[in-house]
Amino acid sequence: MTGNESRVRVAFGVLNALSAAVLLVGVFGVVQPRFWALDVPAAIIALVELVSALGLLAKLPWAERALSVAAWVTFVLGALIVSLILLTIVFLRGIHGDFGLAALAVSSLIIALLVPYTVVLPAVELLWLGRRRAESRS
Amino acid sequence: MTLRTCLRLLAIWTGFLVVCSLVIFLCVRIDRTRAPAGPYVLSVWERGERSARQVATSEQELRHALEAESARPGAQRVVERLVDSAPIWGHSWLMIGLSMVPGQDGLSVGFDGRTLYATPDDLRKLEAYEHTIPIGPLSLILGIDVSRVLGALARELATEPSELLRRGSFRRFAVVTDAPYPRTVSETDITTATVQDSVRAAARYLMRNQLRDGSFRYELNAVSGAESEDYNYPRHAGATYFLARVGNQLRDERALRAAERAGNFMKDRATLRCGAHSCVGAGDRVDIGASALALLAYVELLEGKIEAFRAPSLELAAFLRSQQRPDGEFKHFYSVSEQQAIDAQTEYYTGEAAFALSRVQRVSLDPKDLEAARHALSFLVARSPWFLGAHYFWGAEHWTCQALADLWLRAPDPVALRFCLDWQAVNRNLQFQSPPAPSTDDGGISRGPFMAPRLTPTASRLEAAVATLEVARAASLPPEQIEILEHQVKRAFAFLLRYQFSPGPTHLMPKPRAVEGGFPGSSVDLHVRIDYPQHAAGALLRYWELQKK
Repeated sequence: MTGNESRVRVAFGVLNALSAAVLLVGVFGVVQPRFWALDVPAAIIALVELVSALGLLAKLPWAERALSVAAWVTFVLGALIVSLILLTIVFLRGIHGDFGLAALAVSSLIIALLVPYTVVLPAVELLWLGRRRAESRS
Repeated sequence: MTLRTCLRLLAIWTGFLVVCSLVIFLCVRIDRTRAPAGPYVLSVWERGERSARQVATSEQELRHALEAESARPGAQRVVERLVDSAPIWGHSWLMIGLSMVPGQDGLSVGFDGRTLYATPDDLRKLEAYEHTIPIGPLSLILGIDVSRVLGALARELATEPSELLRRGSFRRFAVVTDAPYPRTVSETDITTATVQDSVRAAARYLMRNQLRDGSFRYELNAVSGAESEDYNYPRHAGATYFLARVGNQLRDERALRAAERAGNFMKDRATLRCGAHSCVGAGDRVDIGASALALLAYVELLEGKIEAFRAPSLELAAFLRSQQRPDGEFKHFYSVSEQQAIDAQTEYYTGEAAFALSRVQRVSLDPKDLEAARHALSFLVARSPWFLGAHYFWGAEHWTCQALADLWLRAPDPVALRFCLDWQAVNRNLQFQSPPAPSTDDGGISRGPFMAPRLTPTASRLEAAVATLEVARAASLPPEQIEILEHQVKRAFAFLLRYQFSPGPTHLMPKPRAVEGGFPGSSVDLHVRIDYPQHAAGALLRYWELQKK
C-alpha cells in the first residue's frame, strides 16, 4: 500500500466516522420524537459507515469491501432522500403556489446540508474504489 | 465506479428529477388568476343550511336557476364560479388531504357518471378545513378532514365513503364567489372612523353574549350555532378590560356597565385567598395571568369612576408583587391548597404582570408598583450578548411592548424599545404580502406556508405593534422607521377587518345576529372566543387612541 493510498484510506475512515456521528447525533440526539421512517434509514447509513470507518482506520482486510457497501448504501439512500425532498417541494409548490421565500430557503438548506454527506462523499469514495480496482486489474 | 459511470448516473438522476418535477408541477397546479370559466355552483342557503343546489354550465342557465328557492323569505343565493381545477392522483385519503389548500380549494368527485362539488362554502360549513392527524409520533396538518368530506359526499351519492374513495375520480378546484365575505378592505380603508366602527361592533358582540351573572358565552361556533362549555378566567378578565376601555375611550356607558358586571363576576365569584393577598382564579392552583388581567380591568373600571374596584386593585397589585423574584421574573402559579407560590413559568404572564403593575401605579401612586413593573420589563427584554440566536428566536411579546408604552413617560427603557422594534421587524418578515399571497391573506401573520393565517396571533402582535409605534413617535425615531411600522400596522388591520363578522358569511350561520361584530379564529375556523374580539378590537382601539392623540 502506498503512502498516498494510506492517507486516502485514513481520510475516508475519518470522514465516514464523522458522517456517522453527525447522523447519529442529529437524528437520535436532536430530532424528537422518534419516527421509524427517519430512524431506520439513518441507523442503517450510520451503521455501515461506522463499520467501514473501523475497517479503514484499523486497516482490516475487509475494509475496502465495507467501504464499497457503505458508499453504495449511502449514495442510494441519500439520492432517494434528496429526491423525495425535492419532489415534495415541487408538489407543494404546485398545490400552494408561491408559498414564500422562507419555506423555499429552509427546504433548500436541508438539501444543501444533506448532499455533501449523502451524495458527494459516497460518490467520491466509489470513484476512488473504481480507480483502485482498475489499477489492480491492469 | 468510473468517473464516466458516476457522471452518467448523476445525469440520469438529474434528468429523472427534472422530468418528474415538471410532470408533478404541471399536473397539480391551479391558476387562480384565470377568469371564471364554469361550471357555476349555485347554492341556496336558509338558516345556515344549504337547501338547494344546481350546477349550471353557462351564465344564461345560471340566471334562471333555482329562482323559486331563491325567492323564499330569508333565502340567500350564493354562486361559486370555478376558475380552474386539477386532478388529485391516486385513491388515497392522504393524497387528497395534502392536495387541498385550506380556505381556498374545493373538492369535486366523479362517481358513476355523476359529479358532485364540495365547494369552499361546503367545506367551511362542514368545518373540514385544516385537519391534524398523527403519523407515527408526528403531527401532519392536512388541507381538509378527508373522512368528514368523503362522508358528506358519499351521503349525497348514496354510497359508502370507502367505495367513493376507491372508485371516485377526484379533482380540486378554485372558485370566485359572490358571497360578500371576506370583505374587500385595504390599507387605505383604515381610518379612525372605520376603526371606531369595528371596535364598537366587537364590544357589542361581547355585550350581546354576556350572561346575567357578568360572565360571557365563552366560545360560539358561527356555522353550527353551538356554544362551548369551557371557561377561562384570564380571558374573561381580558374581555372585561377591553369593554372597560371601550367604555372610557369611546364614552360608551353600556360598555362600561357591561365591564362592571364582568368585573363584579371576578370580584365576587372568582376571588380567592393566596396567602396574605387576594388572587383571581378557580381551583387548587391559580395563575398570575388571571390576576394581572383582572387588575388591568379593575384599573380601567376605576378610570371610569367605579370606586368599588379600588381596594381589589390594590390587593391584586400586592399579590403580583409578592410573586416577583429578585431577578424581576414572576412565580407564575400559586397553590391555593398549600398556600405557597410555585416557581414555574409559562408564556404571557410575566408581560401581563409587568403591564398590570405599571397601570395600577397610576391609581395606587405606590412607587413599589412602578419599580416592580420596571424591573419585570428589564427582565423580559434582557438578551444575552453571548447567544447569537437571541435576535432570531422570539416568544409572544405582546404584553411586554404594551408595558413598554405604558411605562415610557415614567420609566423609559431604550433597551425595551429596541427589543420591541426588533420583534416587529421579525413580524414584518412573517407578514403575508399579496402578491404572491392571496389578497385575502395580505397583512396577516403567517403560521406556516400551508395554513391559513389566524386572526388572534396577528391581533396580539398588533397590540404590541401599535404600542411600539406610540413609543417610536414619542422617542422621535426617524420618520422612515415610523412609516414602516405604521404601514405594517395598517396592513394587518386591513386583514382583521376583512374577516370581522360585519355581518360575515351569514348564509352559513344559523344565528348570524349572535356572532355579529365578532372576530373568528381564521378564514377556516369560524368560531368566536371571547379573547378574539378582545385582542383584535383592543389593538384597533389602541390605534384609535393613538391617532386621536
